[in-house]
Amino acid sequence: MKRKCRVMAAGLAAMMAVSAAGCGSGGDAPASQGGAGSADALEVKIWDSAQVDGLQQIADEWTAQSGIKVNIQVLGWDEYWTLLEAGATGGDMPDVFWMHSNVAQKYMENDLLLKLDDYISQSEDIDLANYYEGITGIYQLGDAQYAVPKDHDTVALCYNKAIFDQYQVAYPDETWTWEDFYEAAKAITDAGQGSTYGYSIDVGNNQDGWWNIVYDYGGYVISEDHKTSGMDDPKTLEAMEFLGKLIADTMPAQSVISENGSGTLFTSGVTAMTTQGSWNINTFYTSDNSENFAWSVLPYYDQNGNGTADPGERCTIYNGLGWAAAAGTDAPDAAWSLIEWFCKEENQVKQADLGVTMAGFKGASDSYPSAFEGMDISAFLDMESEGTLVVRPCSKYTTNWETMMGETLVGAWNDVSTMKDACTKIAAEMNAQLAQE
Amino acid sequence: MKRKMTKAEKTEALWGWFFIAPTMLGLLILNFYPIVNTVWQSFCKTGDFGRGNTFVGLQNYIDVLSGSEFWVSLFNTFKYAVIEVPFSVCIALVLAVFLNRKMAGRSIYRTIYFLPMVAAPAAVAMVWKWLYNQQYGLLNHLFGSSTGWISDPKIAWISIGIIGVWSILGYNMVLMIGGLQEIPRDYHEAADIDGASPIRQFFSITVPLLSPTIFFIVQTRIIGALQQFDLIYMVMDTSNPALSNVETVVPVFYRYAFTYGNKGYGATFVILLLLIILFLTVLLQKAEKKFVFYN
Repeated sequence: MKRKCRVMAAGLAAMMAVSAAGCGSGGDAPASQGGAGSADALEVKIWDSAQVDGLQQIADEWTAQSGIKVNIQVLGWDEYWTLLEAGATGGDMPDVFWMHSNVAQKYMENDLLLKLDDYISQSEDIDLANYYEGITGIYQLGDAQYAVPKDHDTVALCYNKAIFDQYQVAYPDETWTWEDFYEAAKAITDAGQGSTYGYSIDVGNNQDGWWNIVYDYGGYVISEDHKTSGMDDPKTLEAMEFLGKLIADTMPAQSVISENGSGTLFTSGVTAMTTQGSWNINTFYTSDNSENFAWSVLPYYDQNGNGTADPGERCTIYNGLGWAAAAGTDAPDAAWSLIEWFCKEENQVKQADLGVTMAGFKGASDSYPSAFEGMDISAFLDMESEGTLVVRPCSKYTTNWETMMGETLVGAWNDVSTMKDACTKIAAEMNAQLAQE
Repeated sequence: MKRKMTKAEKTEALWGWFFIAPTMLGLLILNFYPIVNTVWQSFCKTGDFGRGNTFVGLQNYIDVLSGSEFWVSLFNTFKYAVIEVPFSVCIALVLAVFLNRKMAGRSIYRTIYFLPMVAAPAAVAMVWKWLYNQQYGLLNHLFGSSTGWISDPKIAWISIGIIGVWSILGYNMVLMIGGLQEIPRDYHEAADIDGASPIRQFFSITVPLLSPTIFFIVQTRIIGALQQFDLIYMVMDTSNPALSNVETVVPVFYRYAFTYGNKGYGATFVILLLLIILFLTVLLQKAEKKFVFYN
């Protein structure tokens, strides 16, 4: 018996020592190890479970050629960033992973991402000129490129035909201005008598909601040099004033939107319209009553009053993820080779074919709508041909002012007469934050 | 007189150290090091990814204490504790007395009351979130109302407190049943013979003799309530209009440290909370001498 205890204690002690050694690395030293990815397997992390099957399929073809296994691991959005930041702090990042405009600059400035310039200049398959400039630009710092665009997204309008029929309101189309949108949404809300509403967005539905309106009106969220806020720009305020009208006359109470989310309110038939990003199509495609749903381009705002949508009057915020590698990966060449494989034209087309996402490679998304049999989602592509693409507003600490923006607007959503004050307050706070970046 | 250890004693001491080493190491690495590091960070302007921390002295403390956010969240924390602690203790005490008697289905009731303790807090929070939902929730469905249980700033803190009470009730009850079984039967028998009513017995025998257990529960629950995080984090969305009336100190700390990446500023919140909890614990220990009855 005593002997047994001794063995167990020794085992325990050994375990503790090992885990202690594991915790010990880190501190101020730069990332020196690339996780489990040795030369015969690469560790890949992403946050969207809807994309994993298609991406694994593309990655398996790379494995067949290179002999290096690819383990794609999916995490939730919040966990992903917590884990990546902890990994970056402790020096244990995945080999290849997704980068987002919200934090790209922070990661690039801290030398955590593998510099890709030499690889790109030697590559036959990758020419950055073929990708959406705005997205390529997100992953540039100085002259260096740290990620290659993986995809891009746009925003479109989804409407519930059954509700429009019930209240005899004409379906949305490309001739709609935001004023037409308001009239239709109000007609449905008035007729709905508290059980059906025209539209709903929450304070956090910025990229897929109110930011688009701001740019349609000629306003802006952040200046092009990412130094000042545009939230107190007169045109932004005009747009927000209009948004206030939408909130007051066409939406359920903000508390209801906050508790359920605008997507759920739409799929459950409480609201007749919702603006959604292309990353969310599957939610509506696989919804129980998806046969009632149809897509249209976003309305426009007729700034010059000539009756047509001119450039800059029908904007869609767009964003794109980038494939990046850890600066400290054990296998930089293999990591690059995989990124190259994901981003080359052939596989960007394939990514669209499989319905994973629209491509980061220009012109490679044409087959994307055919992945959604029985639902016409071409509006997302029409937003590009008929509308104006605006890169998602970002800076080094995007999340900080974006969160502050949402929290401050909760008050304005609940009392739209305070909209202007809220925007001015946001501008002041945001300018203070940007000054410190 | 100091005496030299014999060889056997030395070996024994060595083995002693060896046996507690796993726990010691675990505590040192997982508890003490983070505590020291958090204290240090609260004096720093922290850089991204744990690099480039610069010492700024008491600046974080000045900023936190002069802003309104800390005081508001501290007030919210006490609001939560004021609901959770007294209600969960009193109801648990009554339940424990009933479930300590001989009755049919006793263990079934005990199990039912203890179940919330077994469920994961996140799951509990999600279920309650659905019950409270303004649009589709069961509560509004039953009452035919459209109350924003968790988004009306006036009542959200009570709704959250109710979840807290519900979750912890069974645990408090089990501890109390344990305490009740320590009370010798003779007291109650003697009281019966003297003709004392059950209520009189409850206040004159049960409560005083149970006071060490009650005190233990009150003390641990006060500390636990002040550290409340998961309920608020899970139930209250960031766009919830009642958030600022409910958000306690630890979720605010989490927001600064992990959403905004401002670890130094966030650390200051928890260090201040730690000091408050320490102070309260000292007060409670003083109170123990006055109110708690030991055999």
